[in-house]
Parts: sequence; C-alpha cells; structure tokens
Amino acid sequence: MTTTQELLQQRKDRIAAAIALEKPDRVPVVPLGDAFAANMMGVKISDFCTKPEVAYPTMIDAFTQLGDLDGIQHASYNVSALSTIWLSKVKWPGRDLPDNELWQVEELELMTTDDYDVIAEKGFGEWLGGFIPRADLGEEFQLFREGWVPTLPAAMKAWEAVGIPVLSPVIFTIPYEYFCGGRSMRAFVLDLYRMPDKVEAAMQATMPFIKETARQVIRGLGVSGCWLGGWRSASEFLSPKLWERFVLPYYKELAAVVIEEGITPVFHFDSNWTRDLSYFLDFPKAKCVISTDSMTDIYKAKEVLGGHMCVMGDVSPSMLTLGTPEKVKEYSRRLVNDLGPTGFILAQGCCIPPDAKPDNVRAMIEAVHG
Amino acid sequence: MSVTSTLAQALGDLDEAAVKSLVEGALSAKQDPLEIVQELQDGMEIVGKKFEADEYFLSELIFAAEIFKQANAPLGESLQKAVKETLGTIVLGTVKNDIHDFGKDIVGMVLTSNGIKVVDLGVNVEHQAFVDAIREHKPQLVGFSCLLTTVFEDMKDAVAAIEAAGVRDQVKVMIGGGPVDQSVADYVGADAYCLNAQVAVETAKKYLRGN
Repeated sequence: MTTTQELLQQRKDRIAAAIALEKPDRVPVVPLGDAFAANMMGVKISDFCTKPEVAYPTMIDAFTQLGDLDGIQHASYNVSALSTIWLSKVKWPGRDLPDNELWQVEELELMTTDDYDVIAEKGFGEWLGGFIPRADLGEEFQLFREGWVPTLPAAMKAWEAVGIPVLSPVIFTIPYEYFCGGRSMRAFVLDLYRMPDKVEAAMQATMPFIKETARQVIRGLGVSGCWLGGWRSASEFLSPKLWERFVLPYYKELAAVVIEEGITPVFHFDSNWTRDLSYFLDFPKAKCVISTDSMTDIYKAKEVLGGHMCVMGDVSPSMLTLGTPEKVKEYSRRLVNDLGPTGFILAQGCCIPPDAKPDNVRAMIEAVHG
Repeated sequence: MSVTSTLAQALGDLDEAAVKSLVEGALSAKQDPLEIVQELQDGMEIVGKKFEADEYFLSELIFAAEIFKQANAPLGESLQKAVKETLGTIVLGTVKNDIHDFGKDIVGMVLTSNGIKVVDLGVNVEHQAFVDAIREHKPQLVGFSCLLTTVFEDMKDAVAAIEAAGVRDQVKVMIGGGPVDQSVADYVGADAYCLNAQVAVETAKKYLRGN
C-alpha cells in the first residue's frame, strides 16, 4: 500500500516532469479554489478570508473530498493579499459587506501622479511606508505581514501531511499591477500616454524592492514555486508598444530572480495574452509554467510555447458554474488528449469560482484519470 | 482638407495636443459646435476601425475616449444636444451584488464617444432600478456589466424583472465582463454578449440601426 509520503513524492515527481517538459506517467491536475472551498464546506466567507486558521483547513477539507488531485496551487488564502498586490482598498465580507458576500476590489485613485516622482527618488519601500497610512491600508498590510504570511509554512505542511504538494504558495507581480491598481485602470492608462518617462522611472525604482522581497520570501518560506501574476497587464488591454515597454521587461527581470532562487515561476495570467505568447520563448526553457484563464487561446499557447514552457489551464469559470459534469469532463479530457502528455497541467482557468458546482470540479479532477 | 476632417484624423491618431488646438481654433472661427462633435465622432470611428484591425487595443480606446471627453468640454451644452440627436440610448449598470465599475465605466466612455447616450446607473444596481430607468429614459438598449460568476443569477433576475414589467420587448439586453461568455448570455436571457468595449459599440450600433 502506498504511504502518504510516497504519494506526495509521486505527485511532486509528476508535476516536476510536466514542468521539465518530460513525459510524466499521466497529466497532472493542480486546481485552486478559495471562496469555493468555503461555500462547499459551509464556512462563512468572512471567517475564511480573514482567519488563516480557518482558511487552509477549509481548503484541505474541501479538496480532499473532490478526488485524486496532484497538487494545489495555493496553500491558503487571505483577502489582505489583494491590497498588497494592487495597492487598493478591498471591501471585506464581515467588515464592509455581509458575512457571505464575496470580497471586491474598489476602483479608487489612491495613488497620485506625484507618487511616481517620490518612488523614483526615494525607492518603493520608503514610499510605501508613507502610502499605507495615507491610503488607509494599515489593517490590510498588518494582517498580511503579521497575521497571514507567518502561517504559510504550517499551511504548506498541512497539505503535504495529506499527500498534496503546493505548487505556488506565494504571489509576486510587476510594478504595472501595483500602479494600475493604485491609480485605477483608466487613470493609469492615461498616465502611460501622458507621462510615460515618469511612470517608467517609478517602475524601475520599484523593481529592487520587488526582487529583494521575492528573494526573502522564497528563502524564508522554502517554497518551490510562485505565481508571477498578471491581471491588468494582459496583452488585450495594451498596445504592443506599451506592453513591450511597461510589462514584458519586468516579467523577465522578476522571472530571472525566482529562477535564480531555484523555484518555478507560474505565470498566472488572467484575460487574453494570446497576441504576445511568442515573447515567452525568451524565458528559460523548461523552467516556467504559463497558466491561462480561458481567455487566452490555450491551444495557441501550446502551439507557440509547447516545446519551451509547461502550459496549465483552463476550464472556464462559467463552465464550472453553469456547465454539467459531463461537459466539464468532456472539455477536460479534450485538453488532456490534445495538450498532453508532456508539458501540460490540467487546471481551472484563474480560480474555481465561489459558486462552482462541486460535481463539476470533481469531473475536472477525474478527467486526468481517464 | 478642412479643419474638421483634420480634427477627426488627429483623434484617430490619438494626437491629444492637436485635437485640443484644432477644437480651440474651430471654436474661435465660430464653427458650429455640432459639426465639431460630428468630426470627433468620425475620429472615434477611425479609432474603432483600428481596434477591429488589431492596430489599437483597449489602451487606445481609453485614451481616445479621454481625448474626446476633453475636446468636448468647451462645447458644453452643444455636446449634450448633439448626443441626444445621435444614435440612441443605453441604460448601463453593474448588476446587483457586484461593485466593480472599471469595465462599465470604460464601456460607457467608449459608447458616449461613439454618439450613444449613456444613462449610467452605477454599480450594485437593483433589478427594479433597471426597470425604472427603462420607463424613464426610454432606451433602446440595456447593458449589464459584471466581474463575478456569483452575479449570473442577478443578471438573470434583472432580465426577468424587465420581462415582468412588460418592457422587455422595448430593449435589447447586452452583457459583458470578465467571466461572461455566450453560455452566460444564453443562461441569463440576454440578446448579446460583448467580448470587449469595441464589440459593445458595434453591437449597440447594429441594434440601433436595426440590422
């Protein structure tokens, strides 16, 4: 009989083979669901998203009931993380919204154009120290830094104790995402046209902080992978000229750092990145994963990057919510057959939505087993 | 080439300074503000065509709509009158239980700058508020924006509320937003799913022109 430790190792090996573009014994499935797990287990969203001691046990309880998965993308969840990535206020269930509503980002201009100058002059870290109280984000950053991050090692250990490895428990991203969130999307896009040099100077002054934070987190927590998240920096939102200047170089720089630290960057890309897939041929071969959310053409991703980078995805949120187990399994099997057996990991697109049907998620997980 | 057609091209080229200067010059020369608005809308047509040709992307739509808005500022009342006299009206809102506004706002800006009057109901809009707005503003179109799968039911309920109020046949319902696709449009009973802001413009124009 296989022990939990042996099972854990088999799953780690399966995922590692997929990332290395070797042929695993079968295509791995590595899902992620946060509020979905809370809903499935009848846990209040307000508790789930603010209390680490509730979040990861709830996720483990849910996913161990959903079938034979090979890994999980995140070990835990905390709503405070969103404010640290997007420098934004987020309405929290239990604080700003009823207990079982989903958290939602508020589109506010918390950063001003003058902030670019301060960041360029003083560096991002020093600027952030002043920005947090000014933007009234003290509670968010305190919960993130003191309440949640220190609990991640225990969360990862708890997953491994049930034989499930955690692929990418931490998230890093590029200055574009910070500034676009802090300025609001419309204002930030206008900044890119009206004061590009100022924005670029601030971005460049932000990278040392992001890279140093990434190194410290990777070394401190002992993770083997991370998300390099891309949401508003998607190709579909920007002209190639802007994307090549304000997005691509920063992913390259950040990916180089995390690869140098010996871990796998998972490009978690929401929205449509199809236009720019070929740029990812410049990233180190067989070291990265590109995870798309059903808006990017995953078949095109495989065609362009298949010999270079593991592709992950992409059962759509709407299919998991409105579809049937038969439809989900049919689509998932098609992905496994067409995009496997090498260099492919089956997963949902983005994150399993809060109101996905558990039977649909079960069908996705079952699909790798035939 | 006349001053105003140069204006349309300047907007099509996203030349913010040239648009500002040309509008100021046209106003000084006592040109009819309605003609200026028309030229600006022609400029937005150029922008739309470049978007469809994958020459422009959302960033250009946002910048073009901003240039349009700034250029219209000195035209004041004339713009309002012109917009009323153009293609038609859409009642737009982010549905109940969803507070995301950036997608809705961008679609609203782009529709406005393409000559469609936008009645923006904001975010977290009650179903009845759509019904009330249809009765008050007599739009041809209703647009729902959403970023959450959890509000698919709310979109469905909003369509049902419009039906129950007996005004469903007066409007076409268009939906859009991150998790929305054709299956969602079918589920909620919408007439069209719009992949992005420019598709929303083209869909709206198609309905308003009756084809």
